[in-house]
Amino acid sequence: MEDSSSTVKIVVPPKQSFSKEWASDQKAFKGVPWGKAMMWIFLVSDTFVFSIFLISYMTVRFSTKAEWPNASEVFGLHVGHYNVPLLLIAIMTFILITSSGTMALAVKYGYERNRKMCGYLMLATAIFGASFVGMQAFEWTKLISEGVRPWENPFGAPQFGAIFFMITGFHGTHVTIGVIFLFIMTRKVFRGDFDTGRRGFFTSQKSHYEAIEIMGLYWHFVDLVWVFIFAFFYLW
Amino acid sequence: MAADSYEDVAKSKDTIPALEVQPQDLYHAKSFWTKYIFCQDAKVIGIQYGLTAVAIGLVGLASSWLMRMQIAFPGVIPMDPAAYYQLVTMHGMIMVVYLLTALFLGGFGNFLIPLMVGARDMVFPYVNMVSYWVFFLAVIILAASYFVPGGPTGAGWTLYPPQAITSGTPGGDGLGIVLMLVSLAVFVIGFTMGGLNYVITILQARTRGMTLMRLPLTVWGIFTATVLALFAFPALFVAGIMMTLDNMLGTSFFMPAIVQFGEQMTHEGGSPILFQHLFWFFGHPEVYIVALPAFGIVSDLISVHARKNIFGYRMMVWAIVIIGALSFIVWAHHMYVAGMNPWFGFFFATTTLIIAVPTAIKVYNWVLTLWRGNIRLTLPMLFSIAFIITFVNGGLTGLFLGNVAVDVPLSDTYFVVAHFHMVMGIAPVLVILGSIYHWFPLITGRFLNERLGRIHFWVTFIGSYAIYFPMHYLGFMGVTRRYYEVFEGEAFTYSITGINQFITIAALITGAVQFLFFYNIIVSSKRGKKAGKNPWKACSLEWRTEEVPPTHGNFGKELPVVYRWAYDFSVPGADKDYITQDTPPSAVANAKVEQT
Amino acid sequence: MAEDTQQHPLKIYFQVWTLLFVFSAFSYWVDWYGFESYLRWGLILAFMLLKAGFICAIFMHMWWERLPIIAAIMLPCFAILVFVFIMWHESYWTLIVRRIYFAITGS
Ligand code: HEM
Ligand SMILES: [Cu+2]
Repeated sequence: MEDSSSTVKIVVPPKQSFSKEWASDQKAFKGVPWGKAMMWIFLVSDTFVFSIFLISYMTVRFSTKAEWPNASEVFGLHVGHYNVPLLLIAIMTFILITSSGTMALAVKYGYERNRKMCGYLMLATAIFGASFVGMQAFEWTKLISEGVRPWENPFGAPQFGAIFFMITGFHGTHVTIGVIFLFIMTRKVFRGDFDTGRRGFFTSQKSHYEAIEIMGLYWHFVDLVWVFIFAFFYLW
Repeated sequence: MAADSYEDVAKSKDTIPALEVQPQDLYHAKSFWTKYIFCQDAKVIGIQYGLTAVAIGLVGLASSWLMRMQIAFPGVIPMDPAAYYQLVTMHGMIMVVYLLTALFLGGFGNFLIPLMVGARDMVFPYVNMVSYWVFFLAVIILAASYFVPGGPTGAGWTLYPPQAITSGTPGGDGLGIVLMLVSLAVFVIGFTMGGLNYVITILQARTRGMTLMRLPLTVWGIFTATVLALFAFPALFVAGIMMTLDNMLGTSFFMPAIVQFGEQMTHEGGSPILFQHLFWFFGHPEVYIVALPAFGIVSDLISVHARKNIFGYRMMVWAIVIIGALSFIVWAHHMYVAGMNPWFGFFFATTTLIIAVPTAIKVYNWVLTLWRGNIRLTLPMLFSIAFIITFVNGGLTGLFLGNVAVDVPLSDTYFVVAHFHMVMGIAPVLVILGSIYHWFPLITGRFLNERLGRIHFWVTFIGSYAIYFPMHYLGFMGVTRRYYEVFEGEAFTYSITGINQFITIAALITGAVQFLFFYNIIVSSKRGKKAGKNPWKACSLEWRTEEVPPTHGNFGKELPVVYRWAYDFSVPGADKDYITQDTPPSAVANAKVEQT
Repeated sequence: MAEDTQQHPLKIYFQVWTLLFVFSAFSYWVDWYGFESYLRWGLILAFMLLKAGFICAIFMHMWWERLPIIAAIMLPCFAILVFVFIMWHESYWTLIVRRIYFAITGS
């Protein structure tokens, strides 16, 4: 039970047909490390969480007799004399996509054992993420100052505010958790944990670059959810 | 014969697949705290889960006694309607979520999965440990609701709004409902951590030779149930959050405009039926989360104690998977009288009745496994047979209820109570009891006392039948469920009262005999008959550890290699009547095995 | 673990990155130009699905995964689609009932 990874040879069998791989022994997902498989299944579960939020949103929106506010006006920003619809949301969308890109590159450089690049890209991702949260806070403040509350709003159906705060709040929580972990991981990258296999403080498991890919999966998922929120809540 | 090392295995010329799973880097406990409290060993975590679940389950049991007293002998134990509703609610919720789900998945899952698939532990022992403590926290929050002003919620385990969060309902305007919802949310979070572990351990950490189609059905049942839980609990989680917001922040997701005590509440335009959909999108898979592990375990018990391979193993696996998949598209059969879109009745009745097909296949296969088997009426076998009987009973009433026209008059009567207690109450509990008799030697190395066990079995089985069978009749007479008292002066109250008193007495006895069982466990774990290594002569890997009870890391220096399924009983040509999963073909050259 | 050290060319990341920007810009323009009704919803959905697809496939590496894990991830989503379908119809039904009720009671 000692760490005998150096003495035991692990194979990743070549690709086979779908049914053969499912029917095989040891691993159903060949060559997929435990942590990554676990993150994927978690993300599917989390997909259900967000989908059900959105389904609830659809249901209350379609079944209410009251007027549903026009998101593109509500979330507009005044720039000079113009009211630019959805400006802030558009910026937030672009920021999140940018961070997704830097994250994807961080994963790539992680696997290439390029510690510096990986670390800087992680840091960039974390900062983009943090600024996203900042803008969301700004957006919340703006709406609250305009009289939008979870229980009422000046524009129409009271569920509008309720759904807005709930869904963006829940998504924002995900982003915030992601940012915290990104900062922790950045530190670990720069310290070289993933090269030396330093053991985790809590888990006492060895660190490995695969953790960056797992982090990446989570981060892209957060971006993915935003794609849906952007489409269904802000644009619809 | 267990292979002792990789070299031995190589010498025996039996084909062994190349190693794909990295040897696990286990954490070795250094202090009392990390060994018994914050333990990362799945076996200990399983037992922690089990004990916690049973502890809170006792609260559920006590609630049921008090309820029964009120129904049959009103006034003997003074209680007002509010207290009665609180008992109903807490009983239901505790039994379904905190006892059965936690015990099957957290308890049996943790203990058995790594042993049965041939792993040293769950894939992420640390996360697994946290999972238990989060579950523990959920139980504490639940228990705390008993002590807040107003007491726990009395909304019924289905927690339907608007009444769940209006002040007429006990706990509805206080903290009762909030603590309930928070506890559920915490439970979901804790469960997700554990559940991911179970799923990944089964999919990605099996030992060499262990294909999915060689897994014992226990593992299949727990696996599918866990998958259901991972995808169904989100609905409960979200519904819980939304209802908390309705309650605390005054949003109107579920709350329509309501006049309460002559005053207009601030809510407006919410949809109570949305909650019902969310709840049952969780709720129906939930009943299978409880049923599927029971299906799996009982298959193994029957096969081992009838010394015969399970009939139609593949069919059994597919039935489990298909039931699991279908259970996501039948939820609204709980809502036939809720005022939903009238077309749905047709859709959901159809899907509901389709799900009966794989369920019936399973029943046939259990019976066919028993058919001409070398049945040994051990305690696990007795409980398994009792399970089949009660399950068939409950399944048949399910078919009644699945039809809209039949359900409309029966809905919300004692007929439904009888149905779900048959399938979800006693049937899985009988399996749990049977499997404790079966695996107790694995946990402690000793048998449970046989004589006490038989008393326990017969009283439990006959007692629970005495409780629930008459309830069908009550339902036909139109006695509504969850009522504080049956109204006086009706023509039928005389016969109802008689039946109710009968049921209550049966319930008190059946409940009491469980304490005999606890006594048996405590005494036998110290003084029971020594069991030896593989007392039931089972084939599956959990009995093939180096030491029984298994120690940290489960197996010896090398993990076992698997060559066959877990059901090679009474194989013609073999010298023993069972061939364990890790016996290489060369060691039983003459055996005519049917399936590997 | 020695498993899974996926290496992909840098180029494809930049290509997808650009595409994501473009699709986001397009979906923003859908709002900007004020397209209405089915055209609007169709375009929103199309760009949404394209973006989601690219994120999943390239950034999350699903394109390079084997079929079993892809299937395990995608199949459960059918349950969500059924749920969406049902709730869509349910919400219209609720609306109809509300309209009728409030028409009768006159509030
Ligand atoms: C043959 C398969 C089954 C069918 C057709 C079926 C059908 C139904 C229907 C239609 C109802 C709603 C009754 C009503 O409220 O009016 C119901 C209730 C219920 N069923 Fe089943 N059922 C089946 C199997 C099961 C199983 C295997 C379990 C659990 C292990 C289960 C647990 C429950 C529970 C807990 C309720 C009541 C929930 C409540 O209202 O509090 N059923 N069943
Ligand atoms: Cu159901």
